[in-house]
Amino acid sequence: MAENKDHLWKAPEESADKIEDLVKGGSHPVGIDVGTSKVVVSKRGGKEVACQAQLNAFIPVPYSPVTERTIQQQSDIHYYRDGEEIVIFGSATERFANMFNAEARRPMADGLLNPKEKQAWPVLEAILQSLVPKPRSSNEVLSFSVPAAAPGRESALTYHEASLRQHFTALGYKAMAINEGLAVIFAELEQHNFTGIGISCGGGMCNATLAFLSIPSIMVSLPKAGDFIDRSVGDAVGEHAQRVKVIKEEGFELSKQPKDKLEKALHIYYEDLVESLVDTLRRAISRAEKLPKTDRPLPIVLAGGTAKPKGFRELFERTLRARPFPIEVAEVRVAADPFTATARGAYIAAMFEK
Amino acid sequence: MARFGRRPLAALEAELRTIKDPVEKLRFIRLSLDRFETLDERLQALPGAPLRWVAYRLTGVEEARPLFSRNPWGALDPPRRSRPPLPRRARRTVNVAAVLLMAAAGLALASYPRVHGPEPKPATAATAATPKPRPTAQAALDPPRGGTPERIWLVDSGAAFELYSNGLRIDTTWAVRGEARRYRAFTKDGGMGAEVLERPIGIVFHTSESDIWPLEESFNQKLRDSSQDLLRYLRRNQVYHYLIDRFGRVYRVVEEKDKANHAGVSVWGAGDRLYLNLNGATIGISYETRWEGGAALPITRAQLEAGRSLTDYLRHKWSLAPEMCVTHGLASVNPRKHLIGHHLDWARGFPFAAYSLPDQYQVASPAVRRFGFSYDERFLSVLGEPWPGVIAAQAALASEAAASGQGVDAVRMERVRTYDRWLAELTKDAETAEKAAAQDARAASGG
Repeated sequence: MAENKDHLWKAPEESADKIEDLVKGGSHPVGIDVGTSKVVVSKRGGKEVACQAQLNAFIPVPYSPVTERTIQQQSDIHYYRDGEEIVIFGSATERFANMFNAEARRPMADGLLNPKEKQAWPVLEAILQSLVPKPRSSNEVLSFSVPAAAPGRESALTYHEASLRQHFTALGYKAMAINEGLAVIFAELEQHNFTGIGISCGGGMCNATLAFLSIPSIMVSLPKAGDFIDRSVGDAVGEHAQRVKVIKEEGFELSKQPKDKLEKALHIYYEDLVESLVDTLRRAISRAEKLPKTDRPLPIVLAGGTAKPKGFRELFERTLRARPFPIEVAEVRVAADPFTATARGAYIAAMFEK
Repeated sequence: MARFGRRPLAALEAELRTIKDPVEKLRFIRLSLDRFETLDERLQALPGAPLRWVAYRLTGVEEARPLFSRNPWGALDPPRRSRPPLPRRARRTVNVAAVLLMAAAGLALASYPRVHGPEPKPATAATAATPKPRPTAQAALDPPRGGTPERIWLVDSGAAFELYSNGLRIDTTWAVRGEARRYRAFTKDGGMGAEVLERPIGIVFHTSESDIWPLEESFNQKLRDSSQDLLRYLRRNQVYHYLIDRFGRVYRVVEEKDKANHAGVSVWGAGDRLYLNLNGATIGISYETRWEGGAALPITRAQLEAGRSLTDYLRHKWSLAPEMCVTHGLASVNPRKHLIGHHLDWARGFPFAAYSLPDQYQVASPAVRRFGFSYDERFLSVLGEPWPGVIAAQAALASEAAASGQGVDAVRMERVRTYDRWLAELTKDAETAEKAAAQDARAASGG
């Protein structure tokens, strides 16, 4: 080991004290998963790396001094005043949506800033500010996730990525964007030397990346994910999409037989989503002109809230193996914590760039 | 450290097993890949293909090329990649290794396979025109960078130029409209397709075969004038969509959406589709140079780079299939004698790899395989031997003949007749369309 350290391209292996070094050096890298449904931040808290999340949603309520005072009395509600309205954003949104029997609004749609939502950017900025502290010193690195460009939506992605970069740069960070699927690989496939397929199934879209030794070779996105399931199931059974979402997140299992019409529809649309995702990936890999040679099967790791229900992994694997796949797959597994995988991967990228 | 050898990536992975921290592991990978890339760049600069061949055999560094990425974070707008300078000790190690490598390579030259042949001599005319020997194709190449062009967009434009995000600058001073594109695809079983197609689907690369003056200061006036004269001629006759002059300046001649005269009677295809007479289906890019048999790369480094940027831009803009990016020499045919190689520009030596395009010299020639075309003495006198795709096509034709229980000549004749029939259909279709267009024009003018 000692001789290895002589080469500067070989990093020192005693990395257990890395966090300690960062504390001493005053470095505070940040990783953020800017998702359609949730914004998750990974940053250092003391010696530990911790994750925090906010719902990426908001609801405006009419302003009155009484309402504002009531909100102020509760510390967990984030809001700002906008003329005659109070805009409540983040995780408290759902509570107020239920209270006012209104639908929560989203600053993002299909993985990108929602062009149809006038308040998209001010709200997203407010959500980000509630999660991301000001940098303690100049050149702190912040890495934020971006989806892969869907065909025909490159310009929307450019705007989305540039807006986020400008926001974080204005805060004083050295901001860098990282592909969402690659971030999942960073978080979950270290044992495989960052080689394999990382898939993030979020609210607005699914992102998949095939990387070899940390270098992305194929990046695809599918504008179909949790929101698509909620909407489609809602339409099929005459239920509100928001309620479908709640049922879906409260213990729905794909491994069990559906017990009612709504669960049956959930099964159907989950199967449709996974079928589309596997097909997209299969096509992208088949079309790839040059892939690095590897003589071992590659792992697939699934992350994101949509991958959370029990039985999702089995459904994915069943669909994958139903037809020939252009590369050999070793295993399919769900990330240790599917909600935070992208943010944790972005944090690793930020640590690297530091 | 990750050592070089026959399989540097396997060696790198073995080293990685000892690193537990993900950030350190990532750092080790990225720095090792940088180091591979640095070595690859140095090996590219080695003089002589045999020496480079030996060097690559010894280091195995080619294996890592697909991982040399300009976008290692997968973002749409990647941060400019700053490769950290190698530390002094590492630099010294690499330099010593390079010297040892060259010495070893010298000793190992004897093992260089004969099939690669001797170092190509510059073409006679090229030597006469240019005092210094031209670079060989391999020496001037960069490693291929990924399979598909990155997103490219118009950054700035003016009355006489367009500037794109990949550095491509197009001079539009000479641009003219051409005839509307109109062409059809053929399939083996269905013959001429019913659908009239109007979008370009590929590129044909040419050389201008115009007067080439030595790149010397005393010839400045000639160098300036010859390009301008050439452009005047091209514009007048609507030849090529783009010309790249010897200084890497890209001129638009005919608008991309229109048809230009460049590919003449030609055949190429991809998948089950075949295209005859590629003017309608393709965009013509010409390099201001003379091909001179392709023994040496006949273009300057500036032309190579500009051509790559232009190709990336066109592929991105029109979603051109890489299989449909071909050279004139590979596609040009003589329809009366049923011979390939009627024009031979870039029949050898086009740097497909540097353009991230598939090596079309290896692809079975559609004219030979599907239409039974052959070649003659003139062809052999220039090329010496057919390119591998011709041999592959002949083998495929023979195997198909054997499978059908017929002789090769009988199958060839049958396919030649198919070509003649399809060409006649295509000609008739074009004439009908012309007449219809003329009638429409008369009606519109009230005549």
